[in-house]
This record gives sequence, C-alpha cells and structure tokens, in this order.
Amino acid sequence: MTRFIIPLIAVVLFFLEPVFSLFSPIELGDVRYTLVPRFVIVYLVFIASYYDLRKAVLYGLFFGLLYDMYHIDIIGIYTFLYPLICFLAFVIIRQVHRSTGTVMLLSLFMVVLLETMSYLFASLIGLTSISMEVFMTARLVPTVIANLIFIILFGWLFKNLVYKRVVEKQAGM
Amino acid sequence: MPRFFSNKRLILLLVGVIVLVALIAFSLKDRQSANLPEKIVKDAVGFGQSLFSKPAHSITGFFDDIDGILNTYEENKTLKARLTEYASTEVELGDIKEENERLRKIIDKKDDLRAYDPIQATVISRNPDQWEEKIIVDKGESQGIKLNMAVLTANGLVGKVVLVTKFTSTVELLSTENQNFRVSAMIPGKKDIFGLMEGYDPERGELIMKRIDSGFDVKKGQKVMSSGLGGIFPKGLLIGEVTEVSTDDYGLTKLAYVRPAAEFSMLDHVMIAKRQSATFKGTDDPGTSATEGEDGS
Repeated sequence: MTRFIIPLIAVVLFFLEPVFSLFSPIELGDVRYTLVPRFVIVYLVFIASYYDLRKAVLYGLFFGLLYDMYHIDIIGIYTFLYPLICFLAFVIIRQVHRSTGTVMLLSLFMVVLLETMSYLFASLIGLTSISMEVFMTARLVPTVIANLIFIILFGWLFKNLVYKRVVEKQAGM
Repeated sequence: MPRFFSNKRLILLLVGVIVLVALIAFSLKDRQSANLPEKIVKDAVGFGQSLFSKPAHSITGFFDDIDGILNTYEENKTLKARLTEYASTEVELGDIKEENERLRKIIDKKDDLRAYDPIQATVISRNPDQWEEKIIVDKGESQGIKLNMAVLTANGLVGKVVLVTKFTSTVELLSTENQNFRVSAMIPGKKDIFGLMEGYDPERGELIMKRIDSGFDVKKGQKVMSSGLGGIFPKGLLIGEVTEVSTDDYGLTKLAYVRPAAEFSMLDHVMIAKRQSATFKGTDDPGTSATEGEDGS
C-alpha cells in the first residue's frame, strides 16, 4: 500500500507547488518578498536519507524534467539540480547521526542550496538582474521561513511514511 | 572516509553535465514555440494541475467573499456617492458611442482597433521558481488563442501570451525583466504620446515606458494604455499611471515610470483579448526585436 503512496505524495507535492506560488510575492511595507515553495525537494531529501538513493534520484530526474518542461521552458536546470541535491543529501546524511531533527535540518539546508544554485543559474543566463544582497533578503530568507513551516508540519509524516515503506520492504512485501 | 566518486560515477556525472549544457543551449535558442514532446507534457501536466488549482481558487474565493462581506458597508457608502456621477457618465458614453458608430459609417471604416472578443481563462499555475514572471492558463490553441495576444484583468493589462499549446498557454506578465518583452503604448491627450513599455524596475515595483519623443510633455498622473499599433494588441487597454518622468541613458528620448493598474500577484481569472480587426507582426511581437537593435533610440 505505502508502495503507491510514496510516488503519489510526490505527484501531489509537485502539483501543489505552483498553487502555493500563486500567493507570492507578498508585499510588506515597501519590500516585495518572494516565497518559493520547494516541497518536492524536501520530500526527496527524506526519501534519499531514509529509504533509497536510487529511488530519490529517479524521482528527481522525473520531476525535474517535468518542472523544466512545464514551468521553465529551459530543459536541463532542475533535471540536473534535483538529482544532484538528492545525491548530496545522501552523502551528508551518511556522515552524521540520522535523527528526524537532523534530516529536517538537512532538507532545509538543501532548500537553501537549491535556491542559491537556481539564483546563480538564473543570473548566468540573464533571467534576473537582482544583486546578491537583494536575493538574500527578499527571496532566500522568506523562502527558507516558508519551507521551514512546511518541513515542521509535514516532516514527521514523511519520515513515518518512508520508514513504514522500509519496514515493509524488509518484510519482503 | 569513503570515496564519493568512483570512476563510474565520475563519468556519469561528466556525461550528465555535458547533456545538461547541450539541452539548455538547445532549449534556450527557441522559447517561442514548443516541440511535440513539450506540448504533450504541457497539456498533460496542465490537465493535472487544473485539478489542483481550481479547488484552490474556490477556497481562496470563499475567503475573498468573507472579506467582501465584511467591507460591504464601507463600500456601499462610497459606491452610493459615485452612483449619481456614474449615471450621467453612462448617458454621455452611450451618446458618444452612438455618434462614433455613425461617424464610422459615414467614412465607411469598419475596422476598429479597440474592438476585441474576450476569452475567459483560469490561471492554473504560476512559475514556482519565480525568476520569470509567468503564469499558465487553461485555454489554448483549440480555444483560438494565438501567440502574443494581450492578457488582462478587470483592472488593466497584465501581460501577453508567449507560448501556446493545444489546451494551455503560458503568459508572461508585464512585470518581467525580459529585455525582449515590449508592448506598444500611448498616453492619450490632446496630442497622443507614443512609446514602448519596456522593462520593469523591481525595486520601485513600476513599469518603464521608453522611447517617448522628447518634444512631448509627459505629466505625472497621466494614464498609459496600449496603442494597438503593435500588431496584435487591441487599442485602449489600461496599463497604468505615470509617476515620474526622466530622460533615458542617452538623453535623446524620455522615459516614464508607470505604476501598473493591475495587480500581478494573486491572479486567478484573466481575459485574453482576441482583436477583431486584422493582426500583424509588430512591436508586440518579440520576433522583430532582433532587427530593431537593443538600444536603438
């Protein structure tokens, strides 16, 4: 049963991202804050650190490709970044103690990394001209806060779900 | 310490990087049209997306309704105050419309740049990594939508269609930083002032109207609308209001900062304007930008 729930949740999160980005940017005072939902990558980090790197990379490739084709119209950015982030998460989690707290922190760190890399990429190909400081204050910090809320709300759920699948697999189902 | 990169992984990574660069170069070249696999993916994902977005819209719509009810009393007061004014304006407008039609008949002019058929569309997603200001709506080629058509809300112009598939279309908003995004605009008055909406100042949150002839006197507070001269946009779609006038980098033409009339966040329903008179390729069409030159003022 969990076997089907795991990809299903990834699909749901993929579709929820653009729905939540409809609320962004928000204006507080004179500054526009951009919130970028990064739900899929948070979920993939959980899969990579608790379940299976290969699965995470495959999901990363698939959803990255969809993301590129549907939203960005430049194929190759997220198709590359998603699996890379999964791989990095896997490498890091092997070095530290694997508790829910550290995995949550790791997924947040990976959101920062993904966001920074996408900024570097966007400025490289001229999609944006904002400076590093503006990026930090108006984009990175609000994004991290928004995703932190998401991680706190759903981190336990993801962990339990993925863990259940691992147990099921060990039982040979 | 385990080795992260065995030979096999290193080769895989290198091949991956090469494929990535090739793919990016390939897809950066032509972003105006999508090839067949892209179109299929867009339509399929767009269908799934609309299953999620439409309930979300109804939820936000519900909260908007509550908000609306709470404000009813205040709104009613201001609306009542404006009602008398409105009645006289309406009579005047009807009169002018009739006269306009009669005069048109006299000079035998059937085409009207202002006339358009609105196509109602629902926004199904906004580009989640918001580097580009793009939204995707649930109407496409099969509903008669074409590249570069104007997209507006009740408040004014919001953007134009940059990519069309069978059942979805991608709309780039006016608040884009894309240099090749141009809209032919004018400031109506005794003498119409023409210019191009080109670029956006993210810090001020205002659009920039460039290439205004320096002989014209642009004042703060004047309204800016689409001129209909760009080829496919109808005439008279409100863009915004002039907030500041200065000269451009070379001092040859003026540029004006324009506060947009429409709100670019929280878009849910938009209209796509299908102009009734014949359409041409013009400044609204980024295909011509190459011949125009980047700063040719």
